Amino acid sequence: MATQNFDPTKPVNMIDLTCNQVDSIYQHMLSKGMPEVMWTVDIQKYVWEEVRDAKKNGKKLIAFGGPVPVTIIRAFDCIPFFLDTIPTRIASMEDLAGRYIDETEKYAPTSTCAIDKVQIGVALKGEFGIDIDAFVHATVPCDSARIAYPMMERLFGCPCFTFDCPFRHDEKGYAYLAQQIEAFIPFMEELTGLKWDAGRYEKFKGIMEESNKAFDLLTQLGDLRKKTPCVLPGRMLVLNEIVAPLAGTEACTAMLQTQLEMGNMLADMGMTATRCPEERYRVCLMQNMLWSNTGIMDWMEKCYGAITVMDGFGYQDGVIFDDLDNWERVKMQTAESMLLTPMIHGATGPTEYWLKVIDKMYEDYKVNVSIFMGHVGCKHTWASGKIVTDYIQQKFGIPTLYVDVDAIDPRYKSNDELRAQIGEYFESVVGAENFCK
Amino acid sequence: MSYEKLLETNISGESAKAWKASGKKAVGYVCCHVPTEILIAADVMPVRLRATNCVDSSDAEAWMSSFSCSFAKSVLQYLMNGTYDLDGLVQSDGCMMATRILDNWSHIAKKNGKAQFIHQIGAPRITNEISIGYYKAELQTLADKLGAFSGKAVTDEGLKSAAAKTNEVRGLIAQLFTLRKEAKVSGTEALRIMLANCDLTIDEYIAALGEFIADAKGRGPIKARARLMMIGSALDNPEYIRVIEDKGGLVVADALCFGARSFGEKLVIDDKDVLGSIADYYLTRNTCPRALDNRPAIHKEIVDTCKAYDIQGIIYEKMQNCECWGGESYYLEPDLKAIGVPMLQVEREEQMANAGQLAIRAEAFVEMIEK
Repeated sequence: MATQNFDPTKPVNMIDLTCNQVDSIYQHMLSKGMPEVMWTVDIQKYVWEEVRDAKKNGKKLIAFGGPVPVTIIRAFDCIPFFLDTIPTRIASMEDLAGRYIDETEKYAPTSTCAIDKVQIGVALKGEFGIDIDAFVHATVPCDSARIAYPMMERLFGCPCFTFDCPFRHDEKGYAYLAQQIEAFIPFMEELTGLKWDAGRYEKFKGIMEESNKAFDLLTQLGDLRKKTPCVLPGRMLVLNEIVAPLAGTEACTAMLQTQLEMGNMLADMGMTATRCPEERYRVCLMQNMLWSNTGIMDWMEKCYGAITVMDGFGYQDGVIFDDLDNWERVKMQTAESMLLTPMIHGATGPTEYWLKVIDKMYEDYKVNVSIFMGHVGCKHTWASGKIVTDYIQQKFGIPTLYVDVDAIDPRYKSNDELRAQIGEYFESVVGAENFCK
Repeated sequence: MSYEKLLETNISGESAKAWKASGKKAVGYVCCHVPTEILIAADVMPVRLRATNCVDSSDAEAWMSSFSCSFAKSVLQYLMNGTYDLDGLVQSDGCMMATRILDNWSHIAKKNGKAQFIHQIGAPRITNEISIGYYKAELQTLADKLGAFSGKAVTDEGLKSAAAKTNEVRGLIAQLFTLRKEAKVSGTEALRIMLANCDLTIDEYIAALGEFIADAKGRGPIKARARLMMIGSALDNPEYIRVIEDKGGLVVADALCFGARSFGEKLVIDDKDVLGSIADYYLTRNTCPRALDNRPAIHKEIVDTCKAYDIQGIIYEKMQNCECWGGESYYLEPDLKAIGVPMLQVEREEQMANAGQLAIRAEAFVEMIEK
């Protein structure tokens, strides 16, 4: 085992542990004098400390899973706590991730997605380190979540609300979800003792305006990634996944604004994000992000001049709310945006939705290397894999590399094995030169 | 007509072939939220897809990968290799694997120039007024499309007439369960009989099942060392139960989606809202832990069945990569412990690859619980 991240003989407090780790990174970067990148850690500190300090600040803490209307939760002065951030945060720490995965596997099959196994494991061990006031979740993304969420409802023993997401993302489906958003309001009123009155709606509108700004920035960042060479490294895709619980906050907007300014500055200077002399390849990771080994993107940049321009999780497709005074319209657009959440948009409905996402990613980002870095827990995407990769071959003429990985459990595949598989593909199929040799 | 065809486990396309020969349509369906009443009302023969006795699903695995459930892969294999030669496929999103059967088959059929009626029903995963309304609208769309496809519009009268027939089946299955309770019918035989419902026309099935029940009533009880109940993932292979029963267990009850769960209580139709009654019935009954709000109710039904059927032990079979039935033990096991019923958990694949190991585990379990 690599580094010991905690004392296994004592209970872990996940929130304190995470806050301390993020703070250590922050202090380290301060001491190294890296002011130009401090914003990448500032936002992480904000996310975790907001959750840790919710009670201290007199706020209710609402855990959530899947696509839920975070802006409504914030309008009721509550702090949303996206449970997926725990597994993605600890994915590179095999001792800690393993602690929770192993705990869950006593009760659930090993084939369950490790994102859910970590969350259930923390709940089973009672190691979140904070009290949750309510649990709001959706019936997507997948069958694993559908086992996990009802189990966590019972483990948390707090008020719960479930959004049933329709399989098809059409007008009928949006209307169905909009009806549930309406039903969510009284749930929040009862939970908080606050009314959804004119004053609350004004607050909500302010949050939505901020959320619109953030989405606009995300779109601009996406556009920036389309440029050749790409100035934003693959790692920024990982950072931007933090926006889910931050919808409608100024901190989120500020982080995206800084990122855009940095990116534009690098573009003006004619720089590239790759760590070798030039950008040679533009990679799309067409399924999930490999949180257990995000360093693989740095390695591809350094050794092959291959920049990950987009991934299935990082791809943002959403809506700008165009009439905030019209609640009926807002509900419908909220429903639509819930179903456009990353990897909900492509993977939870019919396979044709994924093909649409592929079209946008591969055309707009000028992708020339396609990698299905398939998280083994994401079985429904594996089950569409051939349809999608055949489509990519046929339409874009790009052969796709299949690599099975566990996005959360680093014990599944070693870094060396992964590098060997990807390296062989680059050198034998793509014909790439290895700058690291 | 003899009831011998009830006991044939291999998938027979004979009924569908004869049906189609008369100029009518036969359509396959996947999962418990496709109301057969709608297909019958459209004069379409419903064929519930299963994968019994599939020994090689490698063609389908190329499409669905080794990370998919082997039941789903095997059903796709049977569609691909012509074991099923039907006019189309209707599927509800029971689980993501079921949805991918439709996605892949739709894609493959199109690629091969095979005309198919393809339709997907969105089945909600929570039950309330809003979700029943949505599901009803989904069923209306199915009814409209099927009517256009078959040339016979789905009417309230047609649905009521179809419900009368499916209720007749439910009544006969209830009698079959009484015979199981009395140990006059083995679990292996019962599953064979229930599987026959997948590929016979409803009239053939009613006639054969009626004959069988009349005959089986005169039987004496089967001697067994322990009375068992089976729960878990889609089990469409009676041989799996036979291995257990060969070791002295008798499977007298089940909570399987090809078993008791696919029949249920009788459907009561409200004349004022016929399709609404069907939507309410199919969404409210607890067929599968695919839904997010029915776990405690499913567990209670299992516990109640244990009491009613004098169950000594439960065998919980989990298909590899079946998430829906993956996580029930955490809450179910304590409930069962409270009534003194132990549970054996076994993992399986669609193909009978571990019969020897299953036999050993079943024998040990029976020895442990026999009185």
